[in-house]
Amino acid sequence: MQQALDVVVNSFLAAGLYATMAYGLAVIYGVMRIINLAHAGIMMLGAYTTFTLFTHFSIDPFLSIVVVVPLFFAGGVALYRTVVRRLPRSGSTPSMESLLLLFGVWLVLQNLAYVLWSGDTQSILTSYTLKSVSLLGVRVGVPSLGVFGMSALSLLVLEFVLHRTYLGKAIRAVTQNRDAALLSGVDADRISAVAFGVGTAFAGLAGTLLSTLFAFTPDFGRSFLLKAFCIIVLGGLESVTGVAAGAFVLALLENVTAAYTAVPTSLQDALSFTLLVVTLVVLPQGLPGLSRLAHVRRRG
Amino acid sequence: MTGIRSNRSFALSVLSLALAFSGPAAAQEAAIRIGAVLPVTGKESKIGSAYKQATEFAVKEVNDAGGLDVGGKRMKIDLALLDDTSDASRSEQLVEQLMAQQKVHAVIGGYGSQLVQAQSVVPDRYGIPYVSGGAGATSIYGRSKWVFGVLSPVENLASTQMDFLSDLVAQGKLKKPLKIALLIENTEHGKDFQKGVKDYAKAHPEFSVVLDESFELYAPDFKPLLGRVAAAKADLFMCDAHLEDFISMQRTYTQMGLYHQMVTYGARGADEAGRKALGAATDYIFASGWWSDLLPYPQVKAFTAKWKAAAGSAPQWYHATAYETVRVLFAAIQKAGSLNPEAIRAALAGIELKDSILPGGVLKFTKTGQAVLPFVVTQNKPDGKVDIVWPKEARTGEAVAPMPKG
Repeated sequence: MQQALDVVVNSFLAAGLYATMAYGLAVIYGVMRIINLAHAGIMMLGAYTTFTLFTHFSIDPFLSIVVVVPLFFAGGVALYRTVVRRLPRSGSTPSMESLLLLFGVWLVLQNLAYVLWSGDTQSILTSYTLKSVSLLGVRVGVPSLGVFGMSALSLLVLEFVLHRTYLGKAIRAVTQNRDAALLSGVDADRISAVAFGVGTAFAGLAGTLLSTLFAFTPDFGRSFLLKAFCIIVLGGLESVTGVAAGAFVLALLENVTAAYTAVPTSLQDALSFTLLVVTLVVLPQGLPGLSRLAHVRRRG
Repeated sequence: MTGIRSNRSFALSVLSLALAFSGPAAAQEAAIRIGAVLPVTGKESKIGSAYKQATEFAVKEVNDAGGLDVGGKRMKIDLALLDDTSDASRSEQLVEQLMAQQKVHAVIGGYGSQLVQAQSVVPDRYGIPYVSGGAGATSIYGRSKWVFGVLSPVENLASTQMDFLSDLVAQGKLKKPLKIALLIENTEHGKDFQKGVKDYAKAHPEFSVVLDESFELYAPDFKPLLGRVAAAKADLFMCDAHLEDFISMQRTYTQMGLYHQMVTYGARGADEAGRKALGAATDYIFASGWWSDLLPYPQVKAFTAKWKAAAGSAPQWYHATAYETVRVLFAAIQKAGSLNPEAIRAALAGIELKDSILPGGVLKFTKTGQAVLPFVVTQNKPDGKVDIVWPKEARTGEAVAPMPKG
């Protein structure tokens, strides 16, 4: 019983971390059909910004979110206005140009970080970094709880914005059908800029949260990016709730495999990619596709 | 017409005289061309830059003393040091460029097993001696007679730690039998460490490996893996990890409240970055290293003093191994008495650098070209203190075993 509780609690915590990494990627893909390959670089920059605020101004990593999120939102909008909007549109599939461009941006960010912070491994040690609390009899790291809380809050804010505000409705309209949204008077270019800013802000936020758990270098984020791709495919590419659900499914799969099977944990990445392939073949619309299927069956 | 001929004759005579006089002078001033390819930028830049600093320091020291004695002639060193940006394919290209175009007499290799692995295929093509100071993976050596390496095999790092643990058993500090939970990063480095521990445990029945798992570099969540470690109920926790993974894993280990009588992360533990990231959570962790400035040899003290004077800070293990790489190459060139590549290679193969600052005090290469030297085992103590606890003759403090709980 205790082992089952361990698995569930740890899966929720890992899901919080994974979802935070994937929200930004999903928002940008949903609105613009762009796979933001610079996502890992932006997370890395978020971690370094938090590190700088912590070391130079003694700002707690979780408090630094109030600086990081607006800063990265502005950076994202600027990146969109100066570079991304110039990309040729290619309908519903990501263009090769966008992949190459954003990969280039990632390399620039990496090299910028080498210049600004050198290649040394950096980390943030706070008074609570090594502390843990007992949750349902499971020892849980305080930073992991904080990351989970921020992830849940991000989900609520995103859901609220997307479903209760005009901006959210416009974002959803562009996500569903860009041309129809344009015909309805939605300024799709402005919405794309905002979406890119939101996606970048979430990547920065993810970097801040990751910096409370991990040490980092300018190469930071690469392994997280691959996991985030799996999650957004599983979550249905455009749905924020789907991303959270996808993150939980992946985390649960990893924890159950580790606890109840003899499969080596070094195969965790292989497990993620197997899940990605199976999802693409069996359920190309991800988890939201499953609920739609169930809905159709109930009606018919 | 005659005037033109006589002018030509005069010019030719002057040219001949100039050549006649300039020949020996040029030969006297000719330098020894040494190439080096290091990751000065990119992901390995931290230690790569340190290797560059120590290499230049060693070359300057020789040049300031008038150069090397090569067959009775004093010759200065002309160092061409290139940055491979931590890119393996670029690293290989640059070594090739140094050997094919710049016609260097020998090459000093890079840092990091992956980069050195890429570089190590080139020397055989050109027949130029190559000495690396930054790769301990055994798979690099023994394939080419031109490739030499100063770092001892990682397998030996593991067996040295096992010798240290055996000694703790002999002292009665640890009670046998001892069960080991063994985790390794999925790299050549990790596999060598795994082999070292497992081979030792096979030969010494007081040790048994009850958990043997690997993990990918920069894993995002160590909880599932450490859950298995907890379930294994081992006495000793032995892991081989990069600095980033060491920090993440030890944080999770501490948060999960795990305890083992002894804990090691291979070469990690005493690093300043690790102690800064983990604070008291690194206390009593033991680690093995290729060098320590605490080694009680007079040559180590002399090196430490001159390094501090020049660089303004205490030398780290990578400064020492980079410095010794240059020294052993220069000693071989002097021993060869010529710049003939085969003569330098033969000298390297048979060299014994008897005043080495590395553990054991004598640097020499085995048949595979890799040096096999003892490792030092250090243990972190509270308040940032570190002691050498193995080998016995180099001890600066007693090992604390088992580790105190909490």
